[in-house]
This record gives sequence, structure tokens and C-alpha cells, in this order.
Amino acid sequence: MTSEAVAVPGGAGPSSSPHPPPFNGRAPLDGPDAGGRGLGLGLGLRAQHLPHVLGEWPPVGWFEIISENFMDSGGYPRHALDRIADRYPIVMHGVSMSIGSTDPLDMDYLHRLRGLADGVGARWVSDHVCWTGVAGVSTHELLPVPFTEDTLRHMARRVGVVQDVLERPLVLENPSTYAAFANSTMTEWEFLARLCEESGCRLLLDVNNVYVSAVNHGFDPEEYVRALPHDRVRQIHLAGHTDLGTHLIDTHDRPVSAPVWDLYRLAVDLAGPTPTLLEWDEHIPPFPELLAELRKAERYPVHDG
Amino acid sequence: MADPPAPSLDQAQHWLQDAITRPGDPAVPAAVMLAGAGPLTADHGLAIYRNGYRKRLLEAMRRLHPALCVLLGAELFEEFATDYLDARPSRSYTLARLDEDFADHLTARRPDRDAPAARREAWIDALIDLARYERAYTEVCDGPGIEDEPSPRVHGRADDAGDAGVTPAPCLRLMRVCAPVHRYHAAVRAGRRPAPPSPRPTCLAISRRDYRVVVSPLPPDAFVLLGALASGTSLEAAAHTASMVLADARARLRAWITHGWLLPVRREPVLHHCPDRRTNPPAQPRIPSQHEETSP
Repeated sequence: MTSEAVAVPGGAGPSSSPHPPPFNGRAPLDGPDAGGRGLGLGLGLRAQHLPHVLGEWPPVGWFEIISENFMDSGGYPRHALDRIADRYPIVMHGVSMSIGSTDPLDMDYLHRLRGLADGVGARWVSDHVCWTGVAGVSTHELLPVPFTEDTLRHMARRVGVVQDVLERPLVLENPSTYAAFANSTMTEWEFLARLCEESGCRLLLDVNNVYVSAVNHGFDPEEYVRALPHDRVRQIHLAGHTDLGTHLIDTHDRPVSAPVWDLYRLAVDLAGPTPTLLEWDEHIPPFPELLAELRKAERYPVHDG
Repeated sequence: MADPPAPSLDQAQHWLQDAITRPGDPAVPAAVMLAGAGPLTADHGLAIYRNGYRKRLLEAMRRLHPALCVLLGAELFEEFATDYLDARPSRSYTLARLDEDFADHLTARRPDRDAPAARREAWIDALIDLARYERAYTEVCDGPGIEDEPSPRVHGRADDAGDAGVTPAPCLRLMRVCAPVHRYHAAVRAGRRPAPPSPRPTCLAISRRDYRVVVSPLPPDAFVLLGALASGTSLEAAAHTASMVLADARARLRAWITHGWLLPVRREPVLHHCPDRRTNPPAQPRIPSQHEETSP
């Protein structure tokens, strides 16, 4: 990745970065910053790192928050987030939109999401190509959808509603999966490409999830990455997984594996400079170690075009 | 014989959710609904989701109830939490609200629920009160507070508050518990393994100031007074309800306004200035302690 795409090299800290412009609820769906180019490398903001971030203002290009951890918060984490948002670009990543569910969209949830996005000036809002529950129940799991024409129409229609409420592009991530519906009529990558085309959503390409699902389902991860609409890739996720011998689990509890770095190289080759974020959610190391893992992404050159 | 028609999206989702959340084998075998590919069979893939669902929710319950987990022991806590989650699956988008009905569920499931109140087991009362307390603690810690409220000294005078009325701070919770469960909770959070709380009726005001949770035991009459004021009763009527001399009640009221437990109702419309969070000068970073006990 070239220095153009990476904010970390040279120690360009947040205090010397230009203040991100507030959206004021009028974020363009396709403005000059729509690709998020120039954000570079970011980290998932986790509660145990708040003291370090607020005390050191470390050289990170941007932070991603788990939306649901802050949507209803009036406590210290939200207070800390507001101060961090004064200095760093913030991207919101959710786990409960349930965009693929046959339950009605939770409009209260969407309006709260919008409120948080406005409050922190979120560059974009993302969630997953999944569903989390039906009949009013929330499993809090990112469950797979059947890749069918019906699912595609259903999800594309809901993406439109969400984007209208958020007045921002919705960015959707490929989740790790451990099961696939027998009645699917297309591959996951075909489904994602069609969804982008028919709904206007963008992609959060999680290369670790591609690898985990590829091993678990026996497909070629490179074929997956090559087949995506690369101009739609707004963000890339990196994370670690656990190898249980017979299959992989997306655990976010260790460094990024070598095969995932290889997929990352391919992804940035194809998509160009793309904001990249490291997720780490279990056995979270001290912030400097996290930053060192993120900086490994600088080894991978980006070839524009 | 023709293949059965493919399930609709709605049917597929109901099947998978039931297969994950309900104990026992699913109504339709996994091999019918899911494709086996790669190293994972349909049954194996389904089992991963089932285990992941259970593990995530139990971890969340343990985080929400660290003291109850210690009091019961890990195994019994997991049994109680599992029974709760099976009976009342989450209906919220956030795990922070996963335990909202836990204390009610424990109350409904207590084995001595049909006995007269005087003959019920005190230790069960204590564990249910601890569950209620930990829920309230979470709400106070992460809910709306008064940190951005203008100081009552600026917009209202404590010495004449009560004439126009008061309203409870959004972070105020009042609890009457059968044992000092707050001390047990604080000890567990500090890494100790205290003796189980002994029965002793205790009145608590739980609030937050500068992002610190503040827990204050109150004398019974003060607790009644505070409850009456928080529900909108006038100072005079509240003092009567609490069998308290008016001057003493007024002194309590002033103190509680100063503490930020009660907010004076303003007599005149006040033009609220909404601070722009993005342009305020940053304050010095500080991390609040999670618990602080005070005298009333």
C-alpha cells in the first residue's frame, strides 16, 4: 500500500489531521469523499483502549465503532467517543440491522443509528449481509441467507429504505459462515455483486471472512475476491481466526494469518487504495501491539488502476 | 417423485432460528435445509451456530451479573441464565438489555413462590435483589446522566426548589433490598470473594456524577421522602408521607438537588443551548471509577 493510502507512516497524528467535516445530516451518497480514499489504516475502538486513546492520541487514521455499543449510551463510553470524534474520522459498524430478515425493519433502531451517525459525523455506516432474528427475536448471531432471487429482491428493497433513513450509503460486509442453505441458486460473490448493482450499496470486504468461509465451504477465496465489483469496495476488514482442524472460526482473537494477508494483497491490487481496518475482539492486546499488527498492512503495495 | 418445493425466505429463517435457539433436534433435519460442502456437514454447521448463540448470550449474562455469578457459582449461574434465555429469548438489538427480565424470571421460578412471604427463603430474596441491583447498576452506569445538565446553582436555587417542584435525574434509581447487596457487588468488582450478604433491609439511592456510579444507603424515612419527591409529590405532602419535619425534609431536598439526584423544575422557560460536541474544547481525560459509596 502506498503512503498515499496510509495515514500512519510519517506519524501524521490526528492532531495534525484536518478535522473531518460534519455531515449535518446531508451526507452525499456519492460525493468526493464517497470512496473514503485517504483514510488509510484504522482500528476498531474498544472500551479497554479508551484511556490510551484519550491520553496519547495515537497515530491512527480513523476508528471504527460498534454502533450498538454507543447508540443508547449516555455514559462514559459515549462521552469518550464524542471527544475522540473531535479528532479522528469515525466509521460505524453495526451488528443488529438484520437487513436480510423477513421481519419489518426496526425503524426505531434505524433512527437511533442515524442520530449516532449525525452525532459523531460518521463517514459511513456498515452492517452485514445477514439476518439476526425473526418473529421479534434477536439471536445476536450473524446468520446466513439463502442466495436466491427472492432474497436479493428483499434485501435490495430494504437497503433502499435504510439509505433513505440514514442519508448515507449503506456498506455491507460479507460475514463468516458455517452453513449454507441448500436452496441457494447463486454463489455468495454473485449475490454480493448483484446486491450492489440493484441496491446501490457498497461493500465492506472482510478478507478474513472470505478465507474462513472458503475453507469451511470448500470454495476458492481468490475466485471470490476477483469476482466482486471492486469499484464498490468501500472498506476492507482484517482479523484473526482460529483453526480447529476441521474448520475455521472467525474469532478476532489473534494476529492476521498469512493466507489472509495474501488475500488482502489481492484485494488492494484489484480495488486500489481502500480504507483498511483491523478488528480484534477477544484477548485484546495493549494498544501499541494492536497498532503494530495494523501497520503490517503497509507492506502490501497498492497498484492504482 | 418430485423434490419438495424450496422453502421461502421466511420459512428458511424460522427454521434456522428455531434450530439454533430451541433445544432438541430441529423439526426438519439440517441435511434437508442446509448444503454440506467442504469439511462441514449440515449438522456440524448448525451445531456451530447453536453453540455460538448459547456462548455469546451466556458471556453477556456473566458480564452483566458478575456478582450474582460469584454468589451462585459458575455452574448454577449458567443453569439459571440458560433457563431464562430459553424462556425469554432476547428481543432487543443490544446485548446490554439482555437481562432486563432476569430478576422477574428468577422471581417467577423461585421454588418457594407459593409460600407466604414470611416463610420464603431469605437467600433467594437476596440473590433476586442482587440481580435487580446489577440491572439497575448497568442502567445508571451507561444510561442518560446529568453531566451535560446546567448546574442547579446556575439555573435554579436549591433553597427555593420544591416550590416549583422537582424531577428525578434520569440516572437516579431507588431500591429497597433485603440485604446490602451493593456491598457484595462492590467487593466482587474489586476482585474479592466476600461472604454472602446477610439479611438486613437496606434502602439505596443509585445515581451517577461525573460518570461515577454513586450508591448511597438511606434511612427509611429519607428513602420514603426521596421516593415521594421523585414521583412528583410536593415537599409538604412528601414530608407528611415520610413522617418528617418540614424543615428537615427541605434540608434533605437541598442536599439531593446539590447531589444532582433531583433536578429543580424551572419556573420560566429556559433557552437551552445545545453544545456542539464537535467544537467543544476537549477536557482532560479521566477514567471514572465504576463505584463509589457515599453517605446521604
